[in-house]
Amino acid sequence: MTTPLIKAHGLRKQFISYKKNPGIMGSFTSFFKRSPLIKDAVKGFDLEVKKGEIVGLLGPNGAGKTTLMKMFTGIIVPTEGELKIIGSNPWERDKNFRKRIALVMGQKSQLWWDIPAMDSFLLLQKYYEVSDERFQERIKKMSSLLGVEELLHIHVRKLSLGERMKMELMASLLHNPEVIFLDEPTIGLDLVAQENIRHFIKEYHRENECCIIITSHYMQDVQALCDRLVLIFDGEKGYDGTLEDFEDILGCDKSVTFSFKESQDPNQQIFQGLDATWNEDHTGVELRVPEETLCPISSKIIDQLPVEDFATEKLPIERVMKELMNNPEILRARKEKEARV
Amino acid sequence: MFKDLTLANIEKWWITIQISWVKHTAYRLNFFLQIIGPALVFFFVKYNLWASIYAGDSELIIRGFNFEQMINYHIWAFVVALVAQGHGSWNLAEDIRLGRISSYLIYPFNFWEFHTASWLSFQVIQMVIATFTLGIISYFGLLIFPSLNYFLIGVAYTLFISLFWFTLQYLTGVMAFWLEETWILRVMLNIIAYFLSGAIIPLDLYPKWLVDILNYTPFPYLTYYPIKIFMGEMTNLSLGLAIISFWTIVFAIINHLVWKKGIKLYTAAGM
Repeated sequence: MTTPLIKAHGLRKQFISYKKNPGIMGSFTSFFKRSPLIKDAVKGFDLEVKKGEIVGLLGPNGAGKTTLMKMFTGIIVPTEGELKIIGSNPWERDKNFRKRIALVMGQKSQLWWDIPAMDSFLLLQKYYEVSDERFQERIKKMSSLLGVEELLHIHVRKLSLGERMKMELMASLLHNPEVIFLDEPTIGLDLVAQENIRHFIKEYHRENECCIIITSHYMQDVQALCDRLVLIFDGEKGYDGTLEDFEDILGCDKSVTFSFKESQDPNQQIFQGLDATWNEDHTGVELRVPEETLCPISSKIIDQLPVEDFATEKLPIERVMKELMNNPEILRARKEKEARV
Repeated sequence: MFKDLTLANIEKWWITIQISWVKHTAYRLNFFLQIIGPALVFFFVKYNLWASIYAGDSELIIRGFNFEQMINYHIWAFVVALVAQGHGSWNLAEDIRLGRISSYLIYPFNFWEFHTASWLSFQVIQMVIATFTLGIISYFGLLIFPSLNYFLIGVAYTLFISLFWFTLQYLTGVMAFWLEETWILRVMLNIIAYFLSGAIIPLDLYPKWLVDILNYTPFPYLTYYPIKIFMGEMTNLSLGLAIISFWTIVFAIINHLVWKKGIKLYTAAGM
């Protein structure tokens, strides 16, 4: 049993912001009298992550994912609770601690804009005290894995978003960190670039046995990379477990898609209660059907309507996620049930 | 502060200086203009202004300055401003305001170290520009060059003043933790300093009572006295050094405290 690299217990973070009424009068009055708004961005969060794990941290916008990442990396100080990353308090920002972690923010560039990525890498090489030999070896390896050998000497501002992101990844992994935080590393990237980056992260993890925490809104990222999922809703942990268990949260429902020869009336009795999602001209529909009624319902539709094609599959993870985001109480109920058991 | 004066740390400083250098010179045209700009400004503004005031009268003496001396006063004022006051620390406030300091909180190299190294590299560039400007001006035969001794003392003194300016600008920069915009502060500071330090016109042209008061403030020692050294007059040197040192130390201490308080605010709010 190895000791966890990340250990959080009862972590809480409170933010104070100030309310400002709209318009010039609003600015004027708030200049003299500001009314504070206190918000719990993260409340009572527990987490333990062991060496070699890849954990996907998911949740809607504003749920507290980035706040957690910032606490983990020592950028902000928790209001309350216990937090140890590789045995250190991150907010003490000890230089040795900083040498062992890395943070990549998809929305914020850490590279210097006006100079080629290679110059930034050289700077980081010295900051992290990486030997020349190791540095060359790592640059060579990572750049060929990402296919960016030709781009190392081009000014960062001239790179595309995808290319820049690859450089950001390289920059933060030069020093072989033990714990890596990736905050939406694939945001805004095209499918090929996303896949490329996923592949790189996977490969990197396989070789370095590091611990990775990743946040993303793309379910493909999660499916490709994470063995474990942590869901955060409104600052609280909603789910913590394997991907397979997650897929079963909504029970053994199946996703069934039908396409019809002609346009159908979505209000027909037969589609009620099946969470139907229609295409624009109402010739195709996706239904969520409980496993036990799959056969009778499907055959009924095929009998009564001009079905052209149909397919059934396990409920996609996107669908589960969407359902949970719309109805977070499902998770609460599940938690309570677990607590009773 | 000096506890990690190891080889590895010196390397970090050195590479930061080099990279800042690359950054400052990244845009070729901009860099070119930066180099020839000061000389052009000098001729268009200062030279023309004083040439028309003196109107070709070589006998005219204004408060002890003939035309040639007045022009030389302004040449050296220019050089002092370039070397001592060129660095605006704009990046510093911007880094804080845009939340870029998060990166420095993660790198094992501190924010102040990064910006001080970047300032050092900027100083080297300013020296090059100043040399170039002096070269052009002396090509037109306007410069009265001091003895080497005076010149070197003048350069050393000016560099010392630049350290004072850096600590002061750093202070206005870290104010960005509280103030969203700090540029107006800098502009005010610069304008006041221009007037009171003798950068616009020699202090000899001011009323005597005002100069007497000013001598108790750091201002005249920032521009007027260093110019005097370059012009071959060494007055109030040790007093100037003492006053500048005092204020540099005071600002350095305040910077340290303001940073500590500001970073607490930042890490608590995580802008």
